Amino acid sequence: MPRVFITGLGFITSIGNTADAVEQSLRELRHGMARHPGLEAENIPVKVTAPVRDFQTDSEDPEDWVIPAPYAIKREQLRSLSPSALYAMCGLQQAIADAKLSPEEVSNEDTGLYAASAGSPAIMTRMVNRMHQQGVMRCPPLGIVASIAGTVQFNLVAYFKIKGASTGFTSACAASAHALGFAFDEIKLGRQKRMFVVGAEDGNIETILPFAAMRALSLNTDPAMASRPFDKKHDGFVGTGGATVLVLESEEEVMRRGATPYAEVLGWGQASDGHNVAISHPEGAGLALAMRHAFKATGITAADVDYINAHATSTPIGDASECKALRAVLGEHASRVAVSSTKALTGHGLSLAGAMEAGFCALALKRGFIPGSAHITELDPACDGLNIVRTTESVQPRVVLNNSSGFGGANVCVVFKAVSGAR
Amino acid sequence: MADILSPACVAPPVAPAKSPALDGEAVLRDSLRRCSPATIDAALAYRRTGDTTHLAPIILGIFERFVEPDLRPRLQAPDSDDLRVIEDLGLDSLTMMEIVMLVEEVTQTRIENEELRGLVTIGDIKTFVDCRARGVQPPAPARMISGDEVRAIMPIQAPFLFLNDARVGPAQATASYRITGQEFFLAGHFKDNPVMPASIMLEALGQLGVLHLLAGLPVEEGKVVGTSTIFFASTDGVRCSRVCKPGDVLMLTLKPKRVKAPLAVYMGNIRVGQEKAVVAEEITLTFGLVDAPAPVVAEPAAASVAEAPASAS
Repeated sequence: MPRVFITGLGFITSIGNTADAVEQSLRELRHGMARHPGLEAENIPVKVTAPVRDFQTDSEDPEDWVIPAPYAIKREQLRSLSPSALYAMCGLQQAIADAKLSPEEVSNEDTGLYAASAGSPAIMTRMVNRMHQQGVMRCPPLGIVASIAGTVQFNLVAYFKIKGASTGFTSACAASAHALGFAFDEIKLGRQKRMFVVGAEDGNIETILPFAAMRALSLNTDPAMASRPFDKKHDGFVGTGGATVLVLESEEEVMRRGATPYAEVLGWGQASDGHNVAISHPEGAGLALAMRHAFKATGITAADVDYINAHATSTPIGDASECKALRAVLGEHASRVAVSSTKALTGHGLSLAGAMEAGFCALALKRGFIPGSAHITELDPACDGLNIVRTTESVQPRVVLNNSSGFGGANVCVVFKAVSGAR
Repeated sequence: MADILSPACVAPPVAPAKSPALDGEAVLRDSLRRCSPATIDAALAYRRTGDTTHLAPIILGIFERFVEPDLRPRLQAPDSDDLRVIEDLGLDSLTMMEIVMLVEEVTQTRIENEELRGLVTIGDIKTFVDCRARGVQPPAPARMISGDEVRAIMPIQAPFLFLNDARVGPAQATASYRITGQEFFLAGHFKDNPVMPASIMLEALGQLGVLHLLAGLPVEEGKVVGTSTIFFASTDGVRCSRVCKPGDVLMLTLKPKRVKAPLAVYMGNIRVGQEKAVVAEEITLTFGLVDAPAPVVAEPAAASVAEAPASAS
């Protein structure tokens, strides 16, 4: 069975649009939150989001979007893009350059792309309104392509001339972790030699605010303290968008190309809560099972784990249920294994979260650090017995887990291993 | 229940406009906001007066907005009506849809999908919209003729047929020909330096004239142009400006100036990509009319016509 490595990363996020900027933010615990313009109205209780840096994609007309250098997108490509697909396009460009892939290595039958996004509610809404107000034939011809849930892979597969496997995942906040897991399988099963894994979200008002009615968003108006997973005063998540792209390659390809991997993907596990459509299982049963499945698939045990990038979004119910799952699975190692939620810095990227945090894990393994869990003033008692690290430590982790949980009670745990210093 | 599901209920009601004219102008300006000021002026003037002379600059202005900047100067050239939207301007069919939607909105006309398929050049679209605006029946769309059909129709055959595929209508005929390098005369023209002879390029234009006479021209009831009656008569005002070699794709355009038996006078040109290769101000063919075959005979002909090239070549 071929081993699978991460050989390239691309980030368009609230805490940086390059791997270096992201690393610096993670090391210095610099967050990406801001007061979001357009949320001033008194009847909108949510004031803070974590906007994507340097891009401006709120205009109805994509030709008015602000796209920072070095990215340049032609009009004929722009018209079919959601903001998420634009971020993903830039992220993939970055990841391809980072992995030093030639155009032939990107476009061939052995290279595929799996993506996760929730589509673009903003573009869908405008299109449907226009359809009702101005008539069916007055809608933008590519409005569908730009708005439905597959928009990210439709655009990327066509633009980058991907010829291998391609599809999308829609398990909400676990979606890009699922994409990563199944992309890993494609290589493991020998079906593909290389896979691009993409998570992306618009991160605009239309994708974030609908969570307000569910009471899932933080009402904290202070950008510096709104997202605080594991803190006693966590009161909901802060929404974000952007994209992260990971390049996965088989060991054979890594050797052939002489690539320097960030990390090895050892394997993954998944399981479902079978409990509630939107609320985490109170004992974290599904997440615990996903982690156990990941252990079984990779042959590691709790004793091997150095760091866990938790799903913890800063909602009281979700954070507490993850803590129970962690204690149950880690057992006697619970007080040793470092745990943090980088969502304190980035906000919650929904479909983007799994890929983004997998990218952080890959960076941590390559560059030797364990990201801290920011914004904790007083630890929530629900975290008792766990080693929630509050500052970023410059230590080299060897085995790292990334947890993700989505609507419907879907849970995914992915296991990464450092390339040098085998356990 | 039906009320709840009706679109009127879903969509927020449109606020009543203070002045319909002003509101219309604002919408029009917004729709054309990426077009030149001259285009917006022409559109406003057209809305005010209904004067159809404004339509051409409106359509050209809308194309200009969608075409890549480096191709925009071509739209100002005198022969811009001949520009093919896809091949010459590099627009794909989806961009064409966007253009059509904007033209429809601004000129308050409607172009059906069926009709759109027949519109290939900027001139086609201008003519179509102009006819619609004046309440006149637009001309029948030009007919696409595949290489097989060309060979079935033409009395001229390989190795002396220089048309690959064509598009023929009453007012214009276009065709392409790819110089393969296997043409027998290239062995000697020139020694170790194959160049398409200018005389052969004129021959190709003449052949397109033959195709136009046989496939594109409405003639009088009960008559057709006789296949064996067509001959080259004269040519005038010929200028060659580009050497054409194997691998080049010649794009031929022919427009009838006068067609009345026994003479058909055309003007024609050949381009390679964006470059002009040949201009002929006049190419004249002679032809004769013969009685059309009875319809009963025409029916089974379809099958045998398709097989004709094999036996003819």
